[in-house]
Amino acid sequence: MTQGKEKVIPFEFIPDKEGRITTINGKDYLLMNDAFYTFFERTMGELSPFFLAIRDEKRMLGCKCTKCGIVRVPPFVTRCPDCNFAPTELVEVEQVGKMLSTPPITYFANALFLDKAPFGRGRVILNGADTALSVMLYTTTGILVPGIIKKDTEVKVIFRDKRVGEITDIYCVPTAELTPEQIAKKGLQESELNWEAPKEPEFPKASDEDIAVYKQSLKEMQALAAEMTRSKRARKAIEGWKRDIAVKTKGGEFAMYIDDGDFRIEEKKLESPDFVMACEDPRTLLDGLMYKGAITDSVIMKKLWISENMEFNTIFKLDRLARFLAREKKEQAAK
Amino acid sequence: MARKVGIVGAAATPFRGKWYEKSYYELTQMATREALKDAAISVKDVDAVAYGIYNDIFERTCIPEHPLQGVIGMHNKPGIRVTNGGATGAYTMSAAHAYVAAERYNVVLVLGVEKATDCFDFTSMSATPEVIKVIGWSGDSFFEQKIGWTASDSYAEVVLAYMDEHPGDLKPEITAQISSQLSQQVKTNPYAQRQFDQVTPEEVMNSRYIVYPFKELEICVYGEGAAAVIVAEEETAKAISKNSGKPVVWITGVGEANEHSFAGKNQNHWGRIYSHHMAAQRAYQMAGIKNPLEEIDVVELHDAFIHQLEITMAEMGFVPLGRADTLIEEGIMTPGGKLSVNPCGGLLYCGHAVGASNIMSAWSCRNEILNKGYRRGLVHGTGSTICQYGAVLILEHE
Repeated sequence: MTQGKEKVIPFEFIPDKEGRITTINGKDYLLMNDAFYTFFERTMGELSPFFLAIRDEKRMLGCKCTKCGIVRVPPFVTRCPDCNFAPTELVEVEQVGKMLSTPPITYFANALFLDKAPFGRGRVILNGADTALSVMLYTTTGILVPGIIKKDTEVKVIFRDKRVGEITDIYCVPTAELTPEQIAKKGLQESELNWEAPKEPEFPKASDEDIAVYKQSLKEMQALAAEMTRSKRARKAIEGWKRDIAVKTKGGEFAMYIDDGDFRIEEKKLESPDFVMACEDPRTLLDGLMYKGAITDSVIMKKLWISENMEFNTIFKLDRLARFLAREKKEQAAK
Repeated sequence: MARKVGIVGAAATPFRGKWYEKSYYELTQMATREALKDAAISVKDVDAVAYGIYNDIFERTCIPEHPLQGVIGMHNKPGIRVTNGGATGAYTMSAAHAYVAAERYNVVLVLGVEKATDCFDFTSMSATPEVIKVIGWSGDSFFEQKIGWTASDSYAEVVLAYMDEHPGDLKPEITAQISSQLSQQVKTNPYAQRQFDQVTPEEVMNSRYIVYPFKELEICVYGEGAAAVIVAEEETAKAISKNSGKPVVWITGVGEANEHSFAGKNQNHWGRIYSHHMAAQRAYQMAGIKNPLEEIDVVELHDAFIHQLEITMAEMGFVPLGRADTLIEEGIMTPGGKLSVNPCGGLLYCGHAVGASNIMSAWSCRNEILNKGYRRGLVHGTGSTICQYGAVLILEHE
């Protein structure tokens, strides 16, 4: 959970300088790879003390109106707009506070946040403040699911080990996951937390019935995969994407191959897969591919385990694959 | 005394996931041509143009409207661009209305466009993460952008805060039913991005989480397209109407509000969408509406998210806050109910070509008024972080 981006634009985001043709109704249309970038030497101005206090002193600052006394965190004004612009003064606030409301959880992140999803982002009123600070939220217990952090949940500001002077230098975790010493400590850093490591689930020995369910599910998944590969719309869901996935279930193990529109399932143990999926009941995955419940939700609800959180991206593509096939069938029926 | 302003022509291009065949130049020309044809006037009869284009990055230029002046034949005439987040289209119509009402111009073209899905993420080889990223540049640049702010998670904040206050409202089976109903309504809209994507409530409930509590089929779809509306002052409007044979649909109420973007004491009304409430109240006051549920027949609401649609309906006074589910439970917006809500399929199914979206909604609202004999309609736009911006227009048959 460290942030180690060294360039303001990560190299892997930059496409090659080239174009391609797409043909529609016999006519060729050009698509050009392009970028729209600008670099900044950004003025932090009057906000500098807030960010410097986080970076260098692991302190949280707010601004207090000299007239009405309201304490705003973050300190985004030097004069109070509610008091005819009376001056404010910087004050330190506590590093524990309560959630103003239940925070949303982002599962489908944009490209810049793929390595951080799933994450919560919500508003915390730190003790001593009157207004809310927008913060990223994590749990130390694995994937953040609804119910862990709610309105009024007490949370603690955690400082990243490597701080650069931006709002990303901090995030919050529930105090319920911390020791009393950690809660009391000012400037608690992420390396001082006990992060629960992802651990592949172990399944009990399979019964004959489990093996039969596995065999049947595998057969159905293979048929679906063939159908998906034939579907023009479904192929779009995995266009340009390549992954070899080892899938482990109670009744047996198989391989799932995604290769630029092609989708294939084989009964095989992969030696070096891109990542591993594990679900006790293979029907969890079968239902997802049949568009009877999202695979994403199976991960969230811990019915399906993935070895890399980053691979949520692939999970979304599998959900889209199922939806696109279902949609193509419906559209054909409607027309 | 402000002059009376009416809509005399309107058009939309088809909304699509991506228009490979057309740049935003041609999309705007298509919408302009069709709107002029609808009004049976020439571009020479138009005094000024108001462009609604939300995001410079989508069009990949910082003054995206400048080439359009020549593309649509409006050179040497006044042109302004309005950009107000998701509410861009509604605010653009409001600006055009003000120009005409204030006697600056007699006929103004309102032209919205967006080419959103040219943005492309080469790491996931799909457009959506990059579109979300671009919209992510709209978040607060000091405190929120870098911690993953998105349109979805900021609207989800508002929705969850509302649900904290009203835990029994916005039930999953109701949001699913509304999405399903919109997917049925879109069937009659040939310009829609998802005209043939009918879904059941079960499919909605089974769709994946994008941002908790929003599921995939409860979120509008970004797309590309253009829409145009032509507004004119009273006498000119009547003359145009006589010639075109299409009745004038008058804009009798306009209201807007932009809230505080920070939360806490003395700041944003957390758990409310006060901008939508204030915008509606101002529009109702101008139009003389006392009881919106009894006096309005059709609503074209900016449904960025189904949950927000429900809250907005409550904020605009159609149902009480905390009882938004009665929209369905008491049959208010179900087929045959008191209100027609998003007959075009809404932004969920027609598509969300941001700058064009609210103008498309006005196009649809006018069509409904003219074709179904409705007396009054409401067009709504929302935008910016945490539903910060709200704009409402009231349209009336003469």
